[in-house]
Amino acid sequence: MNPDVGHDDFESGLKPLWMRAQAGDDAAYREALARVARRLRAFFGRRMLSVADEVEDLVQETLLALHLQRGTYDPALPVSAWVYAIARHKLVDLWRRRGRREALHEPLDDLDESEHPVAADDEQPARRDLGVLLQSLTAAQQQAIALTRIEGLSMAEASARTGVSVAALKVQVHRGLKRLAALVKGDS
Amino acid sequence: MKTDDLIGLLATGAGPAPRAVAARRLLPVMLGGVAASALLAVSVIGLVPTALFADGAWWTKFAYAAGLAIALTWPFARLARPVASTRAPWRLVGAVVAAMALLGLWQFVQTEPGARSSELLGHSWAMCPWNVLVLSLPALAGAFWALRGLAPTRPRAAGLAAGLLAGAVGATGYALACTELSMAFVAIWYTLGVALAGTLGALLGPRLLHW
Repeated sequence: MNPDVGHDDFESGLKPLWMRAQAGDDAAYREALARVARRLRAFFGRRMLSVADEVEDLVQETLLALHLQRGTYDPALPVSAWVYAIARHKLVDLWRRRGRREALHEPLDDLDESEHPVAADDEQPARRDLGVLLQSLTAAQQQAIALTRIEGLSMAEASARTGVSVAALKVQVHRGLKRLAALVKGDS
Repeated sequence: MKTDDLIGLLATGAGPAPRAVAARRLLPVMLGGVAASALLAVSVIGLVPTALFADGAWWTKFAYAAGLAIALTWPFARLARPVASTRAPWRLVGAVVAAMALLGLWQFVQTEPGARSSELLGHSWAMCPWNVLVLSLPALAGAFWALRGLAPTRPRAAGLAAGLLAGAVGATGYALACTELSMAFVAIWYTLGVALAGTLGALLGPRLLHW
């Protein structure tokens, strides 16, 4: 088992938040994702010394995956185990893609010990800008996401404003986020 | 975009998490896979003579294939999601196979030595596993489609489960067209066909299950 997985403060703090989030509490979801993001940053940071500038990209990619797959979480299991299983999967997938492209051979010796981002808890800038990637979604997807996810309108309000049905808006948001996840991975 | 902004985007208006995601994807696929393999078997090879439907041996064969398919949905559904334990599901699958093997062995030892080779090989042993494999392909495609919309974190194991499940679905369809009635035959050649499909799934898993 991974040493990061266990019954620690992370799990005991996250579980109730996560359960409320699964039931539809957006504020709890936001707080849960923020805690998860901090953990992911540390988890990836320790394992991606040679590609430290990609840590934040992978954090964002993993957060998107967690969101799109939140229906696969089984309440009988620790949330942290579920999160780490997906994080590990994302890391393996990154190495696989890296191996295939044979890009990037960042020499570690360029870095002083002090510059190693091991303990860096701070967010480094992501290399890929999701804001830019969002613009390559279809207009309908962009609009649905902008209204309900950025402006924070309810589905009903967004529906009234655009004349698009709530069901169609939900589909556009979901497809848009899926598309975004593919773009972040570079699948295009 | 900063990660905090992304979190805001994901959490705002997120609503409750979708429920029963695995079942919702798996159910139509399995029904479609069973229908496709049954249709293929009946239209290409032809339905068994209806007199066989009065034979317990035919029903045992059909029950084995269908029972294996039902048992295999358990490890499949587990492996479609992160972290779930698969020990109990695989044990159930093993128990179904073992029951059929015991039944075949029991019938085999009661058979006269002179009739034993036809008991084992029937008239179609060389075709049976391949027919099962071919008939499993629609279900295999469906099972992989289902997995690609879910979150398998162990691609090889998930591919194996998908392949075995599709194989059992293929075997269920093949039973409609196969006139072999020996339990030993079913225990060996049907199981081998399912294992072939499982191998194919395990090979495809790591290639197809990236997300």
